[in-house]
Formats: sequence, C-alpha cells, structure tokens
Amino acid sequence: MALSGRFGVQRLCGILSRSETRAALVGRYYSSGDGELHEPTHIQEPTIPPYEEKVGEPIHLKKARLQYQSRKRGMLENGLLLSTFAHRYLQTMNEEQLSMYDRLINLPSNDWEIYYWATGVRETPQEFDNEIMRLLKDFVKNTDRENRTLQPNLH
Amino acid sequence: MALNASASLAGRLIQTPVMSAIRGSAAGTRNLHFTMSGRRPNEKTTNGQLSRDYPVVDHTYDAVVVGAGGAGLRAAFGLVQEGFRTAVISKLFPTRSHTVAAQGGINAALGNMEPDNWVWHMYDTVKGSDWLGDQDAIHYMTREAPKAVIELENYGMPFSRTPDGKIYQRAFGGQSYNFGKGGQAHRCCCVADRTGHSLLHTLYGQSLKYDCNYFIEYFALDLLMEDGECRGVIALCLEDGSIHRFRSKNTVLATGGYGRAYFSCTSAHTSTGDGSAMVTRAGLPCQDMEFVQFHPTGIYGAGCLMTEGCRGEGGYLVNSEGERFMERYAPVAKDLASRDVVSRSMTIEIREGRGCGPEKDHVYLQLHHLPQEQLAQRLPGISETAMIFAGVDVTREPIPVLPTVHYNMGGIPTNYKGQVITYDGEGDKVVPGLYAAGEAGCASVHGANRLGANSLLDLVVFGRACAHAIAEENKPGDEIGELSENAGEASVANIDKLRFANGNVLTAEVRLAMQKTMQNHAAVFRTGDVLQEGCEKMAALWPKMDDIKLVDRGMVWNTDLVETLELQNLMANAVQTMFSAEARKESRGAHAREDFKDRIDEYDYSKPLDNQVAKPIEEHWRKHTLSYVNVDSGDVKLDYRPVIDHTLDDAECATVPPAIRSY
Repeated sequence: MALSGRFGVQRLCGILSRSETRAALVGRYYSSGDGELHEPTHIQEPTIPPYEEKVGEPIHLKKARLQYQSRKRGMLENGLLLSTFAHRYLQTMNEEQLSMYDRLINLPSNDWEIYYWATGVRETPQEFDNEIMRLLKDFVKNTDRENRTLQPNLH
Repeated sequence: MALNASASLAGRLIQTPVMSAIRGSAAGTRNLHFTMSGRRPNEKTTNGQLSRDYPVVDHTYDAVVVGAGGAGLRAAFGLVQEGFRTAVISKLFPTRSHTVAAQGGINAALGNMEPDNWVWHMYDTVKGSDWLGDQDAIHYMTREAPKAVIELENYGMPFSRTPDGKIYQRAFGGQSYNFGKGGQAHRCCCVADRTGHSLLHTLYGQSLKYDCNYFIEYFALDLLMEDGECRGVIALCLEDGSIHRFRSKNTVLATGGYGRAYFSCTSAHTSTGDGSAMVTRAGLPCQDMEFVQFHPTGIYGAGCLMTEGCRGEGGYLVNSEGERFMERYAPVAKDLASRDVVSRSMTIEIREGRGCGPEKDHVYLQLHHLPQEQLAQRLPGISETAMIFAGVDVTREPIPVLPTVHYNMGGIPTNYKGQVITYDGEGDKVVPGLYAAGEAGCASVHGANRLGANSLLDLVVFGRACAHAIAEENKPGDEIGELSENAGEASVANIDKLRFANGNVLTAEVRLAMQKTMQNHAAVFRTGDVLQEGCEKMAALWPKMDDIKLVDRGMVWNTDLVETLELQNLMANAVQTMFSAEARKESRGAHAREDFKDRIDEYDYSKPLDNQVAKPIEEHWRKHTLSYVNVDSGDVKLDYRPVIDHTLDDAECATVPPAIRSY
C-alpha cells in the first residue's frame, strides 16, 4: 500500500479507515518528507521459530513464570499493562485461561501488536480473540480510573 | 562434587583482588554449597526450596554476548558468521528487548532523497554531542552507517521504499546537509512503524541459520575476571535456578541503558543497567554517566510520552495554582519553547513549591480546552494513553506530567572497535576479552547529547564492530585462559545472601526511594546544592541494600530475586550518575547546571583563538568522566579522560573543530 509521506491527517483520513489512521499515527508512522512510502515486496524477513508452550509445567511455576514475563517486557506500555493485569487476574486463572494468557504474551513477536490489539487500535487476530483478550481489553479501558503508572509491588 | 564454599570463601576472596571488589561483603557464613559438576535434576524444579546447594553448569565458548537487543544480536550474528562458537545470554526473549520500542528509524547518509554525504552526518553528530563525542568513533559510525544499513537490507530487513524502489529516508531532528548550512536532511531509514522490531526479528532469524546458542531467560550476574582479563560471565537460569559459568575468550556486553534508575522514564522496566553494573563490580570505570537525555512531558511515573504535538495543538502546562507558567519563562514561545527550556521551567515550578499532586512533584498538561474532535483527530492515542495508565479523561482533566528520562549517553567506555577501555593517565588501555555496544556502551558517539535515530545506528554499527574486532584478533577454537576454581563464587554468595535476606525494607521500597532521589536531584535542574543533597541521599540509601527483605526464597522464576539483583545494578548506575553530575561544574549538552551555565572548553570558542592559551585538562571540562564505585561502601571515585578529537584518517575527513553549539 502506498501512503503519503506527508504529515497530513486530513489526507490520510480519506484513504484509510479510522483505526488504520490511528494505528499509523500512534506508531509515529509519518514525519515530514517528500515522496511516497512503500512497503517492499521483494524482501522476505527471516523467520523465527514459533513459541512452544511448555508441556507438563506445574501450575504454580507457570504462574510464577507468567508473572515474570508480564513484568519484563521490551516496552514500558506493556510492562505496565501486563504487570497490572497479571497482578489482578493471574492467581485466579484456571489452566485453560493460563494457557490463553501464555500464548497471548509469548506468541506475538512484536510487543506493539499486543498493545494495539488490547487498546483496540488494531483488530485482534482470531487466534488471540478469546476470553482472556476480552478480559484484557476490558481491563485496559480502566473504567475504575485506577492509577496504573507503576508496576504493582510484588509483595 | 559438592564443595563447601563457606569455609574457604573469605580466604579466596582476599587472594583474588578482582573478586574482592565484587560484592566482598556478600561472603556470608552460611553453609553454602557450590556444586561444580553439573546440575542435580531432582533439585531444579522445586519452588520455595530452602536448599543452599547451587548446582553449577560450566560452558566454554569462543564468545559470549550478554543481551539480545539490537547490539547483542548484531554482534552475535557477526560472530557466528565468522565461525565463532557463540552463546547469547538474555533475561528476555530477543524480540522482547527494549530495541522493539524504537519505532523511529536509523540514520545513514544513503542520499536516496537528496544528495548526502556521511561527513555531514558526522558533523551533525559531533555538534549534537556538544564536542564531548570521540571523533574517531563518530567518524567510524557515520562512515560505516550506509554499509551497515545495506547489510541489514541484505539480511532481510524490509525498509520502506520510495516509489522508485530505493530505501525511503525521513527527516529527523538534528540532521542537516552541508555542515549545518544545507537545511533539514532526510537521512532516517525506517521499516514502517516497527523498525526496532524488524531489526530484532531479522538479526535473530539470521543468527539461527548458524549455530548460535541462545540462553534465554538467563540473568547474567557478573563478569569472570582473571588477571585483568575478562574470561566470561556467570549467569542464573531463571527457569530452574541453576548457575551457569560461561568461560569464554571474548565477552560482549549489550545490556542496554539504565533509565529505570529514575522515577519517570520511557525505557522498558527491564532497562536496569545490568552490564554497566557488572563492569562496575569488576572494578572498571563507567563513562559520562551524568549525561542523561530527558523528554519534557512523560506521564508522571508511567513515562509514556505525551508528544510535543500536544503543545503544538494548543495544549499547555499549568502548575498547582492553575497558572500557565510557561508564559513567564518564555513569553514568546510559551509552551512551544525548546525541550530543555520546558523541562527546566517545569522543574523550577516543582522546586519552588508549585508542583501538583499530594507530593507536589509534577505539573499538569492541560488539553481539555481543546475541542474533542481536534483531540481525537490531531492527537490520536493521547486520550487513550492518559486513560489507560493515569485514569485521566483528557476532555475533562489535566494529565500529570514530568520530565522523563529517554536515553543514557553514558555507559561502559569503549574505543571505536567496541573494546572496553580504561585510562591510566597517559592513554587508553584495552581490557582484554571485554567489549560493549549499544546503550550499555559509550564509544563515545553521543557525547553530551544523542540525536534521534542515531541510537539504532549505534547498536548496529558497534555490535558489528565488536564482531569484527573479535574476528580480527581471534580464531574460532583459540585457547582460553583458565578460570580459577572459585570463579563466580561471590556472585553465588550474593544470591544466597539475597534469597534469605530478612531485613526491614522491601526491594520495591528502596527502588522507589532511589528513583525519586534521582528524579528530584539529578534530572534537568542541576545546581550544586541540589546535587550535593542528592549525593548525600544516595550515600544514605546505599546501606539500605543490606537491610532489604525478600519474600520469595525460591530459586525458580523468582521475580523478587531478579528485581533485587536489578536494584543492585540500578544503584551502581545511579550513584555514578549523581556523583559525576555533582562534580561537572559546567553546562554541556544534556547536563545543564544552573550555577555553571557555560560550557568550559580548553579555549573560549566564542572568541578568536589567536591570542588564547589552551587551558590544561584540570581546568576545563571537555573531557570524559570516568567513575568507579566501591561496592561495599557505595563511595564513588572520579577520574577524567581526554576527548579524542582526531578522526580515523585526516585525509578522509577532518576533525570538526569545537564551536559554540547553536541551532
């Protein structure tokens, strides 16, 4: 898709859906500059092996691992979102829910994707569109207007 | 063989001076076992076990890379390509590294939009560094940039294109053509809005085509130093609690920055300066730690950026009295004054008691006077971010904001090849076997301030340089010096001490106290008084580390333990930052002193140089700070190292002579 390189919201709105516009702008896609921006079609990024779920992991260790992995992210937004979410829900999740959460935070290789899905900027792919994602989306709305500026204390 | 280490621990520590610098006090009197010969399978999955046996697994590699972000992966890939048996140790899955947060791009003078020349990129970088950058390293980085980017493209990084298929290049602040005289340059290459992710994905994928051994979710504890040489690292496997010693001819530290030493920062929560702290514990210096880049408006505590666009669209800052205070500091530009003016004005308001909130320690960014439609259209994502993290409805309430740490210019000193160096008063000395790259390192290409899109470039160029330097001086399978039998023992003793630590303060409490001290005393408003008070507070906080209490006593996925190890690392970085800033009595780049407003060079570059005599190095500040920490007492020792002004080759490009920096 060829997109304008100029920072012009009005122009963009004409050619993109609202959510795409937001995604583009949230991602600081555009800056000043001339010419148009294209995605290359001839370059194939190398693949990386997909995440494999752990088999036979005792549930208390799974929770301990997911707590670690919820707090230790590559970007602060997810570090806050997932740590506060895990603090609220991890201990009460059943095995099936834990597996969904495990897959959600470990399968996507780009942390931004998780953030965009959870915040509704991009559509959640089917494989992650489950009750845990709905719980996360609901949590992200922050209807209780909680302050989530710090990771919750562990103890 | 289970070795009872406690009896001989203290004696051994005295025998090996390097190890005594490493957590000497950690040598407890516990009956701690240090098993050398491999893991005990029946012990590894017991959570909450109180065993004091520490199974140790030994590994041998040609090279070990610590950290799997952009710099670490580039180094690792370069090494496996050359046939080196390489291990990569990371506390995070590679694509989960903080490099993923970089959405901007990577500078290289490819000249795809208009004619460009890397010499102009060099000029911009030297000027941006406020002449604190080493020009041989800047020469190297900007010259190698086009090659490094084309290489990435060949490895499969799908850079966005122009209509005629060339790599598209955006404009980014601080970049110009023709030595600052040719206007805004388009020099920044990007992969849509996921440049950082694409870099990680590409390099990780490529390295896996070779025999690259990843130790993921392993936490590196300390360097293994013998006779002044680095012979590897010791690490903790988080999944089973086993200890791993990696004996290696060459070790590359690519552990990232230490933004989390501050209360408000844009870095991931994992940016805890692990590599610079490892170097510190090995008795080696860090460099230029006082140079910390801030963004004026991050959400208080959270660090999420409220872009300059908020103020561009008509948003403004208010203090606790509801006053639009920027009108006082910058009557014309008001809220659109330059970043450092806005940051400093905010901090002055807070210091003078007009801060907002229960602790009066932030100000408000007000957007609710703007039409809702404009907010949604022109500032997409801002309303959501404010609600998600701060619970603030921007159509009705102001957003709490604070100058927020964005980048650490300082770090582990290296030469332009990525080799870690020390300075003995006469010249730079290479530390054999030790390298650093990326935000963890300080080559120093950013000097006193980093330019946008130069950080991804730094990762790639110096990660690559480490691999090149290792390949130049070593061959795969080269003989590696021996480790002493008790190598790493102090690190294990430290873990044992922490696991059973039963003091009066939680890790999170000490961390918050440190973060607030750094935020209040070593942020953008720096004066002698404020910094001295900061030094005293940090010195008082240091012993608190011995009064810490851990709740989780297990060895498997013990987040409490990891965060305490991270806190030890942050503290080492924080004291160096505070003391280095207190000592530097001038203003240069990101280090702005209210009581020493001028940059102090060997000459007064605002006047003709003809009749001036160069000041000796003791009397000026165009020099690098080198800081050392006594990890028992927390005392910081400072030394200085001259800036390298010569380039790699005068015929290829001349030194950029110092001048007054204005934009």
